[in-house]
Amino acid sequence: MNGSPSGANRLAPAIADAIAQEMRSDPRVLVWGEDVTIGVMGPTRGLAAEFGESRVRDCPISEAGFVGAAVGAAIGGLRPVVDIMFSSFAYVAFDQLVNQAGRMRYMTGGQLSVPLVVIGSAGAAGANAAQHSEVPPALFLNGGGLRVAFPSTPHQAFWLTRAAIRSDDPVIVLHHPALAAARGPVGAEPLELGQAEVGPEGDDVTILAVGLMAHRARSAAGKLAAEGIAAEVVDVCSLSPMPWETILASVRKTGRVVVVDEARLTCSVASELAAGVAEWAFGDLRAPVRRLAVPDVPIPFAPGLEAAVIPDEDAIARVVRETVGA
Amino acid sequence: MSDSVLEQHGPEWLRVMLRIRFFEGSLADLFERGQLVGVVHLSIGQEAVAAGICSALEPGDQITTTHRGHHHMLARGLEPEPMLAEILGKATGYCRGKGGSMHVACFERGVTGANGIVGGGIPMALGLALAAQELGSGGIAVAFFGDGASSQGTFHETLNLAALWRAPAVFVCENNRYGEFTPTERAIAGPGVAARAAGYGIPGVAVDGHDVQAVHAAALEAVERARAGGGPSLLECVTTRVRGHHEGEENYAGTYREAPLGPDPIDLLDAALGQPGLRARLEAEERELVARALAAAQAAPDPDPATALEDVFA
Ligand SMILES: Cc1ncc(C[n+]2csc(CCOP(=O)(O)OP(=O)(O)O)c2C)c(N)n1
Repeated sequence: MNGSPSGANRLAPAIADAIAQEMRSDPRVLVWGEDVTIGVMGPTRGLAAEFGESRVRDCPISEAGFVGAAVGAAIGGLRPVVDIMFSSFAYVAFDQLVNQAGRMRYMTGGQLSVPLVVIGSAGAAGANAAQHSEVPPALFLNGGGLRVAFPSTPHQAFWLTRAAIRSDDPVIVLHHPALAAARGPVGAEPLELGQAEVGPEGDDVTILAVGLMAHRARSAAGKLAAEGIAAEVVDVCSLSPMPWETILASVRKTGRVVVVDEARLTCSVASELAAGVAEWAFGDLRAPVRRLAVPDVPIPFAPGLEAAVIPDEDAIARVVRETVGA
Repeated sequence: MSDSVLEQHGPEWLRVMLRIRFFEGSLADLFERGQLVGVVHLSIGQEAVAAGICSALEPGDQITTTHRGHHHMLARGLEPEPMLAEILGKATGYCRGKGGSMHVACFERGVTGANGIVGGGIPMALGLALAAQELGSGGIAVAFFGDGASSQGTFHETLNLAALWRAPAVFVCENNRYGEFTPTERAIAGPGVAARAAGYGIPGVAVDGHDVQAVHAAALEAVERARAGGGPSLLECVTTRVRGHHEGEENYAGTYREAPLGPDPIDLLDAALGQPGLRARLEAEERELVARALAAAQAAPDPDPATALEDVFA
């Protein structure tokens, strides 16, 4: 396949395509959110025209209310897909996601399933300031009971969204606003939750990254290749389940690791990845694990400040060079 | 209330209300003797709300309830033994010992669950109602919650959404006149919980929650309306919390109770029924039933520690 079923080869439309495909084959799938009929955020654009405004339903500004209702609807037999817009708006519904969706199966001894998908943008897209630039997966991962995917390409977005909708667990699907129009083929080979994508391959150092950071890692790897440093990028597009096997296999091969994260460093996904590598692949390491992440500040508004706190290609390349001792 | 409704439901109401009373009483005893893990919030004094509402429901309906929800579950037909086992943290509990008192659930029997988050179950009931509507199951959903919860955002958001989408739902506020240790008057602005329905254009009715007949009549109307596609209603059942907020709060004894106790709902029903000997007979049966359930639950095995890692994901 070159492009998703409708031919979409951009990230946000690939999500919409995945939702549409699931809605066609499963009448239990429906879409809720603010302004989802016009698809203001991208991932729901065009769905109302095909499926009507009952299945693609605009909600009032009531995140706790409609996310909570979606939890109940999922328990009751539907498969709601909620577009929460910016993933930081999920904080308004945090109780519904963490305390309710993520705990229901466990607290009921396995009786209840919450096949809910929450889609939200994550990351800085330029001067959106601290409340619209969050990369929140660490909070959800630590909450427990939630699956999290963060695709960085149309291929990942299409397949992981489909997998999310088919999953019987609550899944949060994040997409980076700066990548909404990112182009790329959608291949025929499905990607499942729990899988990572490796590429480019290399023997000298492993770069672990997600979302926009995966893009930047790939371009940094291209630049480093010209200097004779063979960096391997593992795009950890699924964060729960965490694709440890793929990650550790790469680390065992290269013996060096740089983790890049667009979230604040403290208790970040980067920290989790670094800890896992140190614990399970210590004997294979030839250099200390390095974490490159946002310093512990809210994302600033001014473009220059924003750029200053978010790892870029040059910073990634610099830390990689330091790690390989070049 | 016509006498025929009382004749039809009265003895069952009395039975379930006594079951609740003994069930909760046995937990109070266990707590007193230091044999309970965790905290329990008892519903003694509120039995009529559970009996009156749940007897208006069908098997395919769902309820969500709160930290104080044993009475709703029993009235919905959950078995005392697996409930007690759950509250004691046993492997044979409804939730395999993973939920405890504040999270007893049995979806199959129409109890989606209780909740430790005040206001947490209200939107969930809306979702269950919408699922029933969408899937055409004919079911409705009831959210039970306290007066304190009616100040949560989820309450207001859910009422708005439910009204907007004409959800087959009934929102039952059990106003026991306290949220923890704060009297309702100090927590709720305006003319009261029922009046909050007006803002969403749905019926809001306050009834005497000690009187199972009054509760049932109001419930029937709201349930029928929901089932017929008429949309949601809010019912405020004014009742009395006889015990404290939770067991073991004697530190606070005498420091906060200002409202006088309301009438005992079991006495009220007994008097209305006027059937000499019925109460004594049911008391003996239910006391025995609860005692046997408790003995079995206490004898049940603890969960295998390995199961602590199960049931996180599908
Ligand atoms: C979100 C949240 N805030 C606070 C609490 C602590 N808390 C537990 S019960 C309770 C009072 C609830 O009052 P009400 O809703 O009237 O229910 P009642 O206890 O009277 O049945 C509070 C404040 C909680 N569990 N969850």
